[in-house]
Amino acid sequence: MHRVLRTTAFALSLFLLPVIAFAAPAQYQLRVDGLACPFCAYGIEKELNRTDGVESIRIDINAGTVTVTMAEGATMTEAEAARIVEDAGFTLGGFEEVRAQASTKPE
Amino acid sequence: MHAGPQNPGRRPLCRAGAAALLAVVGWTDAARGAPITFNTALPVAKGEFVFRGQFVLDQSGDDPSGADRDRTAWAAVSVLGYGVNGDLALFGVVPYVDRSLDLTVDGSRRSRSAAGLGDVALFGRYTVFKDNFRGGSFRVAPFAGVETPTGDDDESDAFGRLPASVQPGSGSWDPFGGVVLTYQTLDFQIDAQASYRANTEANGFEFGDVARLDASFQYRLWPRDLGGGVPGFLYGIVEANLVYRDENRAGGLDDPDSGGTTLFLVPGLQYVTKRWIVEAAVQLPVFQDLNGTALEKDTVVRAGFRVNF
Repeated sequence: MHRVLRTTAFALSLFLLPVIAFAAPAQYQLRVDGLACPFCAYGIEKELNRTDGVESIRIDINAGTVTVTMAEGATMTEAEAARIVEDAGFTLGGFEEVRAQASTKPE
Repeated sequence: MHAGPQNPGRRPLCRAGAAALLAVVGWTDAARGAPITFNTALPVAKGEFVFRGQFVLDQSGDDPSGADRDRTAWAAVSVLGYGVNGDLALFGVVPYVDRSLDLTVDGSRRSRSAAGLGDVALFGRYTVFKDNFRGGSFRVAPFAGVETPTGDDDESDAFGRLPASVQPGSGSWDPFGGVVLTYQTLDFQIDAQASYRANTEANGFEFGDVARLDASFQYRLWPRDLGGGVPGFLYGIVEANLVYRDENRAGGLDDPDSGGTTLFLVPGLQYVTKRWIVEAAVQLPVFQDLNGTALEKDTVVRAGFRVNF
């Protein structure tokens, strides 16, 4: 009985894994030039948090990067990122799509 | 501005300014920083507010006049800044002051005091040069504003009208301007400011104009090594303020017992997080070259906080 349950759970996880992977939202890494103190980091955090589609952000002040995770179905362009960073008083030094927004329907 | 042909007795401001400039250039070459004693370098992003509350205790004594004057000034200073865009920021500085002057007149001790809203200052700062690089930036921003006569300037007590140094306000519109430079890295920050305030006349009295050079060096003491995320920073601070005050004018005459040059050295500490900062510093007058029997500074203590919202 135990073995049947384990096998079923494993089979289910194998089936769901691609669905979860395909549903993962887009994620971007912004290199923010000029970011040099904690108090300055709040400005860019606030700018990003009021941007439509931004789900969460993570700032690494030592690396000078901001990782932006979008809500499902939302994306960000480099031009949009540059404008947000500029409004906060900084300069966008790099823009990388860490994880592309993918279709939620597994093939 | 008072210096010039109309006031030949006054010290030329340019001479003091040149000396001050040299002093600050020398200072910034030797050190690095972030300001507690001046507000013009406060960072503020577009659509964001920054509020600084600061308590200031300004003690003066060591009176060469023989009147044994002892002046104590408390102030609670509120500063609100708003970022119009990434380059332009507007600021308002609202002081609440409590000033007292104890002195001996004809053998008897008098205590004179006043408290209330001081003169509100409004100014704008525009970043004309900005070089952002990985983990740091360099910025140059001129600023200009005016100190408005919002404080009472006609307070009196049993002895009559209070002297101007005790009144909460000056009664005059006093324009000021300058330029502030900021060089910031993850490890340290340097700010340097040159400014000039042209005080104007009110009630037959005019405070002398003020030219000053300020420098601030902020060094990250903790954490020594940065990991990920945004940790709070503890900064050790050393600032210097070189202040030149022109002589006051009363009834159209220069007061030879006012004005002069003071250099403060300012050690302090600052703890900085994303949303708030707490800070404290002591301004120690290490050099004073004052005119006549002008009252010397003892010490100025500043403690306060800042919040982003």
